[in-house]
Amino acid sequence: MEDYKFLFKVVLVGNAGVGKTCLVRRFTQGLFPPGQGATIGVDFMIKTVEVDGEKVKLQIWDTAGQERFRSITQSYYRSAHALILVYDISCQPTFDCLPDWLREIEEYANNKVLRILVGNKTDREDREIPRHIGEDFAQRHGMYFLETSAKEAENVERLFMEIAVELMEQAKCKELPKYDGNLGPINGGVSCRIRFFVYIFLIRKLLQ
Amino acid sequence: MQFCGLLLEKIEAITTVNQFKICSSNPSLPSNSEVDEALAGVLSRTCTLEGRLRTASQAYNKLGEVKADAQIAADMVDKTAALARDVSAKVRQLDLARSRVAECQRRVHDLIDLQLCSAGVEAAIKAHDYETGAAHVSRFLSMDPGSVAAARARGAADPRDAMTRAANTLREHLVHKFEEAARKEDEASVERLFKLFPQIGRAEEGVDLLAKYLAKQAEATIRRACVVAEPHSEAAVFADALTRVVEAGGAAVEKARVPAAVVAPGLLHRAIKAIQPAVCLGAGCVYKDMVISRRLDLDPRRSSRSPLSAEPILAELALAHSRVRLYFGFLRRKAEADASTLPEAAKKASIEAVEKIITGCELMRTGQDILAHYLEVERYFLEESVNKALKLSTPQTGTTTSSLVDDVFFIARKVIRRSISSGSVDGACAVLNEVASVVERSVCAALRRWLRAPPPDPLPLPPPRAAQLTVLDAAGELANRLNRDVDAQRQLFLAHMNEAEAGGEWSERLAAEACAEAEPLCRGASERAKLHSCASGLGAAAAAFRAAHDLALAGVKAALKPRVHAWAEVIVDPDVGPDEMDDDADALPLALEQFCEGARAQVSARTVDALLLGVLADVASRAESRILHHHYDRVRHGLLARLVGITDFKIEDIKRLKL
Repeated sequence: MEDYKFLFKVVLVGNAGVGKTCLVRRFTQGLFPPGQGATIGVDFMIKTVEVDGEKVKLQIWDTAGQERFRSITQSYYRSAHALILVYDISCQPTFDCLPDWLREIEEYANNKVLRILVGNKTDREDREIPRHIGEDFAQRHGMYFLETSAKEAENVERLFMEIAVELMEQAKCKELPKYDGNLGPINGGVSCRIRFFVYIFLIRKLLQ
Repeated sequence: MQFCGLLLEKIEAITTVNQFKICSSNPSLPSNSEVDEALAGVLSRTCTLEGRLRTASQAYNKLGEVKADAQIAADMVDKTAALARDVSAKVRQLDLARSRVAECQRRVHDLIDLQLCSAGVEAAIKAHDYETGAAHVSRFLSMDPGSVAAARARGAADPRDAMTRAANTLREHLVHKFEEAARKEDEASVERLFKLFPQIGRAEEGVDLLAKYLAKQAEATIRRACVVAEPHSEAAVFADALTRVVEAGGAAVEKARVPAAVVAPGLLHRAIKAIQPAVCLGAGCVYKDMVISRRLDLDPRRSSRSPLSAEPILAELALAHSRVRLYFGFLRRKAEADASTLPEAAKKASIEAVEKIITGCELMRTGQDILAHYLEVERYFLEESVNKALKLSTPQTGTTTSSLVDDVFFIARKVIRRSISSGSVDGACAVLNEVASVVERSVCAALRRWLRAPPPDPLPLPPPRAAQLTVLDAAGELANRLNRDVDAQRQLFLAHMNEAEAGGEWSERLAAEACAEAEPLCRGASERAKLHSCASGLGAAAAAFRAAHDLALAGVKAALKPRVHAWAEVIVDPDVGPDEMDDDADALPLALEQFCEGARAQVSARTVDALLLGVLADVASRAESRILHHHYDRVRHGLLARLVGITDFKIEDIKRLKL
């Protein structure tokens, strides 16, 4: 039995080269891998964090940004508890593609999924997307917003920790039916009947 | 002698006359005769003692001589040892001198050979005896560089220049001859000449030339393999063509590996680098033709393709992808075998070089495109097939059975197995995700919808007494008689309930099967963890099935409630006398037995147990509340009577006070 109370699936999506893998590796391994190659399909990493003294296991799915992997990555949307949509603040096309990504999220993800817009690479000096543009976009589409730098480890920890906190709060507040499949203790029919007759006997005694 | 000695000691101790007197009167002292005897004995031994003394003095003289001889011998041994040490030192010096002489001789031979080699190479080239020429160059390469350096140090002309010139000429001749043999497709000459390149220190050039020749050969084979005679055939013609392409590539790589492994191990990556473009090109051609012929560029949901007609395409796509994956697996294995004799670092570098070629080649991208098309069509097939199964299982008038879960899991198993046959862990994971999603979203939702409202009396519990049917029961009976379809509805409800229960087990079994079957595809713990995580999505579907089953159980329990309450009333009826109570004691167990028997024929034993537990709990709690109610009534009546007795109130007035 693993030692955690909550398990959340976090999926990172966004154009190729925006720094999804670097964000994940910075958070999970504390590394910034220079010259990181393109992700093939989907990568899978795990990190357990502590929120209010409770252990939360984050299962982080780092998806490939290239178009040819879209049919693989789409299949991960539905089971996600949080979706991080990443763009590169120094690359306008990655921001321009956000509406397409949102359409995909609408189509495949659960409509209650926690959505976070992340502008990565704040360490770059050739910024093309001002912060307020990103913020406006996130606000218009009901998303959380954060700017990060995987290289400088800026806001990376905060991003995932805030997700963990938010998802834990949601999990605690939600009163959804639990699909744990447990029917409760099922006693054998015979023992049930014995218990019942004892009960009836006591009732009769009481009445007399 | 001893006795005599003692005697003399005693006599010497007597110094006074008195002492003499005391002694002579002492009987313990020996008598004179004894003393005489003893003295005679001592005197008789004098000669023997004198003889012995003589012998001893002679022996002493001899020992002196021996000592002198021993001293001489010791001196000689010392001298010999010193001599031996001197000899050893001289031998060592001789050895050193001899090795120096041998080295000098070798260098002289090297220098002589160098002259001979350069001349020999030229002669061999003229005689087209490249083996001899290569042997000369090999000899030159194996020479001690010190020989040439020493020669140069003495001011002689650098003898290497001539040899290097000769070696270059030989290389040019070899390259020329190799190309000529390659043009003529003279495999024997190609192989013979290839083996000479490592001898002249040009192993890499040899591998490149061989790979170029093999790539050209493979190119022709691949060009022929790309042609698909019947592109519209339903058979997996494109997968077959792709198989032929990668087989041709694999054969070329193997042809390069076999001779290279002997003379130039660890250079297979150079051969693969030369051969791979031809394979990529061929596979790209086949892929393009497949996309056009199979209309893979269209969204399957918008095309007129039926799920049935998508199946051969799916099988073909899965097969095509598995072939690509097998080819890459083949390259990895061969690279490993090729570098097996190398040191660890060189082996790692060689394997990494091959891995880099694999990840960067166009065939890898073609494989990814094939997988993308496969997943797109597979998702369409899955959704459409499940929708069809749902349509077929939608409750209709008179329907009493359902095979929704069986149908859906048949489809799911087929789809998952096909995805595993594609050889891709990512593909299998994506399909597992899709299956879990469709099952939970469509099938479980449909079952929950159908199980939400159970028909009247889905599992009949016999009433307490036939004569005491409640109004509700009577109404239910009437409704049943009026509605001929209610029985069918009941059966269908129970069938769906059973399906919901079976669905949970099916989902878990399917996830376990998928993990076991896809295990060989995993290349590392990370891929294995990914697969298991995706399979756990089916666990969520199982929980959804169980929730549907719980919903149905709750419905059945709710439907049983009026009868359960009636039984509770009968059990705790205060008007029933003790005799009558004893008569009715077995009525409820009998009714429950009948209920269980009836239920067991229609639902699982676990469900029957759960229902029985619920019914018993209901009866007990209801009976308990009724007992309290009756007890309260009795107390109240007693209280009222007493109040009437002691006050002027009428009983109606007191009742109005709602005591």
